[in-house]
Amino acid sequence: MKLQKALSYSPRADFIVEVIQMVSGLLLVLFLWTHMLFVASILIGSNAFNSLSLFMEKNYLLPAAIVFLVLVGGAHIGAVIRRIPSRWAEQKIVWKHAKLIHHADTWSWLFQSVTGAAILALAIIHIAVVTYGGIDVIYSSGRIKHGFLVFYAVLLLLAEYHASVGLYRIFVKWGWVKRHKLHWVLGVISVLTVGIGATVLWIFFTMGVHA
Amino acid sequence: MIERELTFRIMRYNPDEPEKKPHLQEFHLTEEPGMSLFVVLNKLREEQDPTLRFDFVCRASICGSCGMLVNGRPTLACKTLTKDLPDVTTLLPLPVFKLLGDLSVDTGVWFRDMSFRTESWVHTDETFDPDAPEKRMDNAVALEIYEAERCIECGCCIGGCATANIKPDFIGAAGVNRVARFMVDPRDKRTEREYFEVVGNEDGVFGCIGLMACDDNCPVGVPLRDQLAYVRRKMASAGWRYQKV
Amino acid sequence: MSRYDSFVTDVLVIGAGLAGERAAVEAATQGLNVILLSLVPPRRSHSSAAQGGMQAALGNSAMGKGDSPDVHFADTVKGSDWGCDQDVARLFVETAPIAVREMAHWGVPWTRVTKDEHVYDGKVIHEDPANAGLITARNFGGTAKWRTCYTSDGAGHTLLYTLDSMVLRLGITVHDRVEALSLIHDSERCYGAVARCLRTGELRVYTAKTTVIATGGYGRLYGASTNAIINEGSGLSLALDTGVVPLGNMEAVQFHPTGLVPSWILITEGARGDGGYLLDKNLHRFMPDYEPAKKELASRDVVSRRIMQHIRAGYGVESPYGDHVWLDIRHLGAEHINTNLREIATICKNFRGIDPVKDLIPVRPTQHYGMGGVRTNIDGQAYGLKNLFALGEAACWDLHGFNRLGGNSLAETVVAGKIIGEQIAKFTAEASLDVKSSLVEEHLQRQMDRVTRLRESRDGTEYVYDLRREMEQILSHHVGIFRSEDSLQDAVNQLSDLHERAQRLGLRGGGHGGDPELDAALRLPGMIRVAYCIAKGALARKESRGSHFREDFPHRDDANWLNRTLAYWPEGADEPELRYEPVKITESPPGDRGYGEATRGPDSAKP
Repeated sequence: MKLQKALSYSPRADFIVEVIQMVSGLLLVLFLWTHMLFVASILIGSNAFNSLSLFMEKNYLLPAAIVFLVLVGGAHIGAVIRRIPSRWAEQKIVWKHAKLIHHADTWSWLFQSVTGAAILALAIIHIAVVTYGGIDVIYSSGRIKHGFLVFYAVLLLLAEYHASVGLYRIFVKWGWVKRHKLHWVLGVISVLTVGIGATVLWIFFTMGVHA
Repeated sequence: MIERELTFRIMRYNPDEPEKKPHLQEFHLTEEPGMSLFVVLNKLREEQDPTLRFDFVCRASICGSCGMLVNGRPTLACKTLTKDLPDVTTLLPLPVFKLLGDLSVDTGVWFRDMSFRTESWVHTDETFDPDAPEKRMDNAVALEIYEAERCIECGCCIGGCATANIKPDFIGAAGVNRVARFMVDPRDKRTEREYFEVVGNEDGVFGCIGLMACDDNCPVGVPLRDQLAYVRRKMASAGWRYQKV
Repeated sequence: MSRYDSFVTDVLVIGAGLAGERAAVEAATQGLNVILLSLVPPRRSHSSAAQGGMQAALGNSAMGKGDSPDVHFADTVKGSDWGCDQDVARLFVETAPIAVREMAHWGVPWTRVTKDEHVYDGKVIHEDPANAGLITARNFGGTAKWRTCYTSDGAGHTLLYTLDSMVLRLGITVHDRVEALSLIHDSERCYGAVARCLRTGELRVYTAKTTVIATGGYGRLYGASTNAIINEGSGLSLALDTGVVPLGNMEAVQFHPTGLVPSWILITEGARGDGGYLLDKNLHRFMPDYEPAKKELASRDVVSRRIMQHIRAGYGVESPYGDHVWLDIRHLGAEHINTNLREIATICKNFRGIDPVKDLIPVRPTQHYGMGGVRTNIDGQAYGLKNLFALGEAACWDLHGFNRLGGNSLAETVVAGKIIGEQIAKFTAEASLDVKSSLVEEHLQRQMDRVTRLRESRDGTEYVYDLRREMEQILSHHVGIFRSEDSLQDAVNQLSDLHERAQRLGLRGGGHGGDPELDAALRLPGMIRVAYCIAKGALARKESRGSHFREDFPHRDDANWLNRTLAYWPEGADEPELRYEPVKITESPPGDRGYGEATRGPDSAKP
């Protein structure tokens, strides 16, 4: 033990950060899925979508969601940042390492840090646009028609990939289920989520065209 | 059977000659039936280059000396048969460990250090009574201890671990598995809290990011994922109930 | 004299396998400073490869009921073909149960007695429920009771890891990747060793009040051996090269009946102990024909000889690697094979590509163990040089005589370690360290000169690996299971020639740093001298006893040969000198072993 460590000794710190990472990650996945379900209300019809968004606006759920995202997302970023090799030399080592050992799960982790960073950027834009533009069938479909289709498709894929790999990692680490079974279950969930998301995007896109 | 001409690209590096950069040297030889990398490397040394350095001891996947990267994958050279290899094979020493020369790395020092840090011995105040019969133990418990004790310290789990590659103090799957071995042993009187102070941190079980290359590459099939998860759960419960004194 | 690293300690233990570590633990517990030297990290020592188990008369299992040190003693002496020292055997069998329990106390997860019933060789075995949880035992060759304590398939591994954990706990200094090259001595007393760091190639000096040789066996002198590649008899040549310390019974070489063809990796005796059969090319179980009582579980020398006898009679399975027989464990079932015999399954899969659950295993007798070694008294003190001890396979204590029982070598390492470790501690506490620096430098200089001469090829250009292969072949061809005058004479002549050529070694590589060719070249002349002792001892011994079987003298000859060979290599000599000493018989007069009579043929061969 060195003095500087003895003075700031907190044996539980690493454990707590690990818990924060996991809990915030789980909450974000939950948010993502709820978000997708809400958005999927368009599948029932324009009215359903509009009344849901009206309901949310009336009950301040929108700002609440933003506060939630800032807090939980912030905590998640704060927790995971310790994992990401910060120095250039370390970055070089992990990429070389992944290329060398031909191991799928090692690659998925690198992608996870990349997608995580990308999601952060895209999500900020998304939130800004939604907050500024409002949520409504007309607005949304218009946005998607005019240039945002690709943006949302990318965000959807990234978010789902990140969430699914993150979930996989949590289950693997805590050992609650068998690994190959987990692959399968998460694969199905991902396909479903992406499928729903893609359908929603397509509906909005065609609506935009007709409008 | 047509005899294959095998090519081996082997990393050469002598720490005594740091001016010569590590490089891959090509060797060629004719495949023989039942040939393993143990046979290959000894043949190369005896017939082509007597300075080639590598480590073997038991040549029967018991001692853990010959861990290396075979076409990138961490494994034991002695149990790698050439019939399972392509025509061109690259052999590199295991990363993380200190390089002693060519394919030889200092796994021994790393594991000794890890053993000290995890205090890998049975902690007990009881003294041995030569006249008493042995303490009873359920055979299922004995088997559980042995399951973790089977680790042969080859270092494949460490060399293949992304975290161990960048964090020099991370004890890796081998270290966590070592702790698991003592946790399940009723003879070891350490409390959960004491274990927590050893592995309940970033250099221990919470440093693991769950890539499971260790579990995929363990050449003797120690269930490393199960051991990592077991220790993680134990340490989480210890962390949860941890009281500051 | 150039600068060199120098270490001073109370006890210097050369070799960090089970025997060395156990002795080190004993000495350190009693407050002495100990340095352990090891060619490899201690946990990689060949001790870890012993899968079978260690014998100790606990008598906890149903099939071990009624066992006692007396029965263990009788088995050991009988197994040795009355070639052992009986006072040593007595001390050993009395201490073995304590040593096993002590290892349990330190952490070995011995397999325990369970309440489940199990089937063995067609019979159902019911364990005594009162013994559940106590250390159990399995069957091994040459024993009257089930006495071999084990940990699933990794007895040696768990013993070594546990003992090494004690070394850690006691903070004993370990210098791994270091090889002792010569003992520092003045023909009266030993003062330590000159050693070479295998990482950097630098020479070092270790001075100690007491020096201990625990370097294990010499299997690698033979081409085909079950031994790890580090088992090159280096401790034996250290002692022999002093000129005053003899090697005992070097002609007593054990061949394990079941080496896997063709990698010669050991298939543990546990396979037969747990009920495996040996089959010939007609898939006929032939051992009961030769040994109706013990069948596959006669002592190792006997089973090995029977296999070779059966192969010679034309019943071997032909293969590119020579004729072999089959080991059949299929009837033990997948569950048993994959837990208690898992290592066998793994070895068969990895090194031969077969699954013993459904395939037959090709096996042939393979060099496995040397009963001979540095001759010591019952306290482990080497003959001829004060302050020098030896134990384990490197020593001739002499517990094994002319044939060692399976499970007695692992037991010897920890039992001798305990007993001799205590003697070492007692001896060292009284000893002082007054060594002349001129003596140290003289020994160091001699090794430095060797290195320089090899590097510069001053004496010649003989290639170490060529000579080495010749030595392996000479021993394998002429000093194997069946021995005879002409063949042994051939071996002696060839080894004499080889020893002379070994003085003219030169390196092809540079020999800088931890160069493997230099390692080998420094080692080889000593290995050839040890090989010479084996061959010459075998040529001289005109009888058959235990593993030493002379076709021209097929019977044991107690009138002339109830003695122990002592091989010396006087300084400057070009061959070993043989002397003999009587074996110590305290309780059990020489008798019939009840198995392995040389003249007995197979029942099936009778008209």
